[in-house]
Amino acid sequence: MNLEELVLPVLMVFFMLAAGAYTVAVLDRVIAGALGTPQAGSVWIAPLARGAWLMTQHANATEAPDWRAWRLAPALYLSLAAIGLAVVPWSGSLVATDLATSVVLWGSVEALATVVIFLHGWSANTLFALIGGYRYVALGLSYILISMFVLIGVALPAESLQFTQVVASQGELWNLIRQPLGLPLFLIVGLGMTFWGPLNLADSADLAGGTAAEISGPPRLVWDVARAAMLVAFSGVATSAFLGGWLGPWLPGPLWVVIKMLAVLLVLLLLGRLLPRLAPERCVTLMWVVLLPLSFIDLVWAGVGALL
Amino acid sequence: MELLTLFFVLLLSLGIGLLAQWLPMRQQSRPPWSQRAPFLGGGTPDSHAWSRYHIRYYPMTLLLIAFEMEMMFMYPWAVVFVEKGMKAMMEMGMFLAILSVGIVYAWREGVFKWQ
Repeated sequence: MNLEELVLPVLMVFFMLAAGAYTVAVLDRVIAGALGTPQAGSVWIAPLARGAWLMTQHANATEAPDWRAWRLAPALYLSLAAIGLAVVPWSGSLVATDLATSVVLWGSVEALATVVIFLHGWSANTLFALIGGYRYVALGLSYILISMFVLIGVALPAESLQFTQVVASQGELWNLIRQPLGLPLFLIVGLGMTFWGPLNLADSADLAGGTAAEISGPPRLVWDVARAAMLVAFSGVATSAFLGGWLGPWLPGPLWVVIKMLAVLLVLLLLGRLLPRLAPERCVTLMWVVLLPLSFIDLVWAGVGALL
Repeated sequence: MELLTLFFVLLLSLGIGLLAQWLPMRQQSRPPWSQRAPFLGGGTPDSHAWSRYHIRYYPMTLLLIAFEMEMMFMYPWAVVFVEKGMKAMMEMGMFLAILSVGIVYAWREGVFKWQ
């Protein structure tokens, strides 16, 4: 009993964490290669080689960092990604943790990501890392409302805050079509949450790496793996919320989830490679004045749709 | 049981994240002090993390609190929405309309301009 209810779900989450982070690293290299950035060596080996190299590198230190917080922040970000992955349903019965309030839990993961990323920037005790942290807070506080309105919109037709119910409610029509504004807005949230591509304000190149400017070796490995894992967790949530999760013809449910997650990852990584980075001072205005009203419209749309 | 699983996921991922840093680093010596100076693109490190830095988005964070409180009401509202029908729609519509006036006012006051 304990094996089935405790050990297997935990193993499932960690398998997804490792496999997902590796997939993100490979996909990103494939996309970079296809867009013209030359890749040294095989894209399949390169992520592993880089991981092993980081593991053996000397770790940098700053003058008086908050040691505990500095080491804790990457591990905590990894934990948030793991918790996000734990609420993603693979089929009607195959869910690591089928909480009745899993949508709320994912919301809290998004909110805590802001805290953890700021902690990472703050604890290094250097200027660039701190500015990266401040920038991220501006972004994080701006996108979180959009994310919440969009997710509430998904919960309305399901009459539940449980991701399995949300998927089950998409039997006739996926939320992608039923609430057309939802997924595009949610993808922007995903890029913000993992500070990837156009929304990479926290670890951007103009801050020499931002919150990660001073880390090298094993802490950087954990930080990079955590970012990739968070992208995977996000794509899992996007799949269950908008793309009908395990629903689909012919193939078994979990396989559909994997295919849809790969599709979401592909879109996110392509956006990350194709779009230029947004100016930080513009992104606050954009989020509050343009995207937040759009998410209101999405919510009203979802509400009217659920009542009809 | 779900919460227990979640707790184990949290505990194990934290443990893995910390061990992956601690195990390879426990034999390493700390880098020399000259290397530990903050990286400022090669410039002399005469500004540091305690230098004055004006975060100009304070009013935005205050506005966020109003909305965060609203989210708390929205979670239970989402569950009973279909059951209550148009009444729930109108109630939340009014609530959001009032908050939207706040956004418009804040926009006019330049709260979302961060520069």
